Amino acid sequence: MIVSTALCPSPPLLVRDLSGADPAAVELRQACATAVAMLIATAPDMIAVVGSADRTQTWPADAELDISAYGGPPRPRVGRPAPLAVGLGALLLDEGGYTGPRLLQSVGHDEPLSACVELAAEVSASAARVGLLVMADGTARRTLKAPGYLDERAVPFDAEIQRAVSTGDLTALHGLDQTLARELMVTGWSALQVLAGTFCDREPDTKVLYADASFGVGYLVAVVMAAKEDPTEPGR
Amino acid sequence: MSAFPRAIDGEPRRPGVLRLGRRSFDVHQRLVMAIVNRTPDSFFDRGATWDEDAAMERVHTVMKEGADIIDIGGVPAAPGAEVDVVEEIRRTVPFVAAVRDAYPDVVISVDTWRHEVAREVCAVGADLLNDSWGGCDDRLAEVAAEFDAALLCAHAGGLPPRTRPFRVAYEDVMADVLDRTLTLARRAVAAGVDPSRIIIDPAHDFGKNTWHSLEITRRLDEMVATNWPVLVSLSNKDFVGETLDVPIDERLPGTLATTAVCAWLGARVFRAHHVRQTRQALDMVSAIRQEKMPARTVRGLA
Repeated sequence: MIVSTALCPSPPLLVRDLSGADPAAVELRQACATAVAMLIATAPDMIAVVGSADRTQTWPADAELDISAYGGPPRPRVGRPAPLAVGLGALLLDEGGYTGPRLLQSVGHDEPLSACVELAAEVSASAARVGLLVMADGTARRTLKAPGYLDERAVPFDAEIQRAVSTGDLTALHGLDQTLARELMVTGWSALQVLAGTFCDREPDTKVLYADASFGVGYLVAVVMAAKEDPTEPGR
Repeated sequence: MSAFPRAIDGEPRRPGVLRLGRRSFDVHQRLVMAIVNRTPDSFFDRGATWDEDAAMERVHTVMKEGADIIDIGGVPAAPGAEVDVVEEIRRTVPFVAAVRDAYPDVVISVDTWRHEVAREVCAVGADLLNDSWGGCDDRLAEVAAEFDAALLCAHAGGLPPRTRPFRVAYEDVMADVLDRTLTLARRAVAAGVDPSRIIIDPAHDFGKNTWHSLEITRRLDEMVATNWPVLVSLSNKDFVGETLDVPIDERLPGTLATTAVCAWLGARVFRAHHVRQTRQALDMVSAIRQEKMPARTVRGLA
C-alpha cells in the first residue's frame, strides 16, 4: 500500500551544476529536497520512483541519471543509465540520504490510462508500506518565453493539476486529456495518471511546496500522505 | 626549485602555479594585465593617464572590470624624447605606492628594463618586473631575486630598448624566441629568482615584423609546451593594424581574436588596454575549454 507520495518536476536543471555558476532554480531544488525528505521520513519499506519516459520499464535499482547528454561539466561515465525523470528521482533519493530499497519505474508517454492505473496497483502492491516519488512536469507553454511559446490553455491545465493535488482529489487527474497534454508539451502525463491511482478511496493530507512556471514550464512540488502518515505529527 | 635544472637539460618542466605577490594562480586561470601608462605619449592612450588622478581613476575602472594585474609604465616603447632613470622613477614610484595603498592585494607590475627603477618600485610594493625589452640590463634579475618579485622574460630579438625592427630576419622566429626567453629564465633562476615567479613572453612586434608576430601566435603552443607561464601582449598592436588594415582605434576585434587564439593555445596572462572585453573573451575561452562555469545556463534545460 502506498503510504506517502512526493511529486516533483523533472527538468535537467534540477542538477545543480547544469545551470552554471548561477544557482538558478534554488527554490525549486529546495522544495524538491524538502518533499523527498518528508517522503523518507514516513519510513516506507520501499520507495518507488515513477517517471514518464519513452517506454514502460523497470530499471535496475542502482540505475542513475545520465545527465551528460544534457551537457554540464565533465563527469564520470554512468554504468547503468536511467531516463531523465526516473534518474532525477533516483538522484533526489541519493541527495536525501535514502539508502533503503528502491524501485525505479518508467511509464511510457503513450500508455493508455488503463495501463497507468494498472501500474499504480502493481507499485502499490510491491511492499507493505510503499513510498512513491512521482516525477512529472506540467505544461511547457506557460509564457511567451516558454520552450513551447505561449498557449492560453496551459495555465488552466496546470491549475487543474494543482487543484487536484492540493485538495487530495487525485482521481481528478484521470480527467486530464492526453491529446491536449501532448499539445501543451506536458511530459509527465502518464506519471500523473499513476499518481491518480494511488490513494483510491482514501482521503490524503496534502501540502504544496512549490507551484510556479518561472521558465515557462509548470512545476509543482507537493507531498500527499495517508492522514496518519504526516511526518510532522508528534510520535513519528 | 629542483625542477628547473632538469628543464634546461631538455626535460619538460611540469606546468605549475604562477606566484605573483601574495597571490597564486593555477594553470587554468587566465589573467588580465591592465595597462596603465604614466607617459604623455604612449601609442594607444596618447597620454590619457599622464595625469596622476586620471591614472588612478583608470586603476579603479580596470579593477572593476576584472583586472588581475596592474601594469604601470613610465617609458613608451616607441622611440621619442629621452626618459632618464630619474624621470622614470618620478613617473612610476609614487604611483606604484599609491596603487599599493589603494589595493593591498592587487598584483602590481612595472614595465621597465632598468634595475635602478626596479629597485625603487619593488621597495614600494611592485610584484612583477615587466622587462619587455628582453634582458638588456643584467641586474634586473638580481633585483627581482632580492625582493622576491616576479620577472617577465621577453623576446625583443636583441634590439636595444625603444628601437623599431628594421629588416629583422630569423631563420626560425619561434626557435629564436624560445632560445632567448629560456636563456633569460635560466639566468633569472641562477640569479635567485623564484622559478614559480618567472613568466615568458614572445613579445609581439618587438623585434618582429607582422609576419613574425603572426607566426609566433600560430606557434604559441611551442612556448606553452615549455611549461613556463606565457604572457602575451597583443593589445592594439601594429601587427593587428597591418593584418586588418585598420588604424589604432579600430583594432579591438583583431586584438580579441588573437587573444582567444593565444588563450586556446595556453597563454596564461594577457596584457591589455580593453580590460572588460579581454576578460569576456578569456572567460568565453575558459568556458569552451571546460575550465570555467558558464555564468547561467537554463535555456533548454527547464
